Amino acid sequence: MRWLGVACMAVFMTLLAAPASAAEEGLVIRAAELMAQPFLDAPKAGPIAPNQPVTILERRGGWVRVDAGGRTGWVRVLNVRLVSAGAAGPAARGSGGITALLRTGSSGKTVTTGVKGMGEEDIRRAAPDYAELGQLGTLGVDAATARDHSQKNALKEPAVEYLKAKGPRK
Amino acid sequence: MTRRTALFALACLAAPLAAAPAHAQLNLGKLIDGAKTAKKVGDSLRSISEAEEIKLGGDLAATILGAAPLVDDPALQLYVNRLGKWLALHGERPDLPWKFGVVNTTDVNAFSMPGGYVLISSGLFERMRSESELAGVLAHEIAHVVRRHHIKALQTALRSAALSDMNDYFNGGGGLGSQVSKLVIDGGKEMFVRGLDKDDEYEADRMGVVIAARSGYSPWGLGGVLQTLSAGAEDRGFALMTKTHPLPIDRIARLDAALGDRLDTLDGLVDDLPGFVALRTPPPPPPNPAIAPPARKAKPKPRR
Repeated sequence: MRWLGVACMAVFMTLLAAPASAAEEGLVIRAAELMAQPFLDAPKAGPIAPNQPVTILERRGGWVRVDAGGRTGWVRVLNVRLVSAGAAGPAARGSGGITALLRTGSSGKTVTTGVKGMGEEDIRRAAPDYAELGQLGTLGVDAATARDHSQKNALKEPAVEYLKAKGPRK
Repeated sequence: MTRRTALFALACLAAPLAAAPAHAQLNLGKLIDGAKTAKKVGDSLRSISEAEEIKLGGDLAATILGAAPLVDDPALQLYVNRLGKWLALHGERPDLPWKFGVVNTTDVNAFSMPGGYVLISSGLFERMRSESELAGVLAHEIAHVVRRHHIKALQTALRSAALSDMNDYFNGGGGLGSQVSKLVIDGGKEMFVRGLDKDDEYEADRMGVVIAARSGYSPWGLGGVLQTLSAGAEDRGFALMTKTHPLPIDRIARLDAALGDRLDTLDGLVDDLPGFVALRTPPPPPPNPAIAPPARKAKPKPRR
């Protein structure tokens, strides 16, 4: 029995790993240079054109490392849109799928029971649930609790002004 | 329902009456206890008090919770509330009674309500690659609340919902409170399925990345979420999100234009944290270093 359990777990982990490692496919939005490093003043690694298909290899701050038809380098994260990758893409990793099943199994919670939709018709039909609102009311935390989280993780608090609206870059 | 809230809701009711027959205005005028004209009533809607905002937001949050209940995972909900409150402390309304919740649905969406309620779907949460993406979404929703975008949208929604409800109101029996509550909830549903003003969405994107950065998170987390949305626009689970927001590609382009490299020099902002990774089963897919690259090499340069 024990070995059966281990085998089941191995199969389960393999299933989990498959979608998790699926590459994200995207398109470059505007003309830019591939950069050798994720810095604005890094050496350039060649131009890339709009609609150039790319595979995202890594994300780091404002940059993504991409494979652009055999050339690799860094581009700005906001210069890449993703394309629907079907069953392998991130859109396919839903909480109603295997991820939620594992969470249910690992934590003993009944996460997957009573999963509801939140589409337009679901909202139009919804009756206010004041018991759930009461539950939500118990979840809020005070400022001190929030600061504990930030101090534990040494989060910085830089002063940053809000951004002005600008039209899209050409 | 408090008297002030009833008055507020009556004000919502009265706003469309500017175009209604004169006798209707007159009848309502008597009911509104001193508010003599529709204009004055409209003004009172614009100056809704914080307590009224919280009451209104509670009714609207209850409505979303009626469609999808909270995920039964106290550790997850606590984590999201600590992060959410931390972010809210870096906006202009830190003292609202902020409440954050993950609701149980595979659909991909996030909602906020007046008064500091923020709900995100587990479908959206499960697609997040890192804590900075969660921070970006929560900060976007916080911005809507800070800027009172819902109040503006509700005025529009209630204007279209009110006329039929007015008939019920004048001709039907029943208590004033239940009629007004129904009106507010129907107006809120209309707002949720129509969405907020598109410019308000762009503004919440711009504010959200700054609130995230002020709180120590990479401002590009929201960009990652917008990328996820850009891949899922045709997915059924994204339908309402897609309908109620500008196209992800347009949001990415506007955010890119506003953000540029202005925040590149900020040092030590966090992409992800171990606590978030531990919440996720399985862990997020792409390799994702815990800390953004040091900014010392990044010098602001003109970009094409």
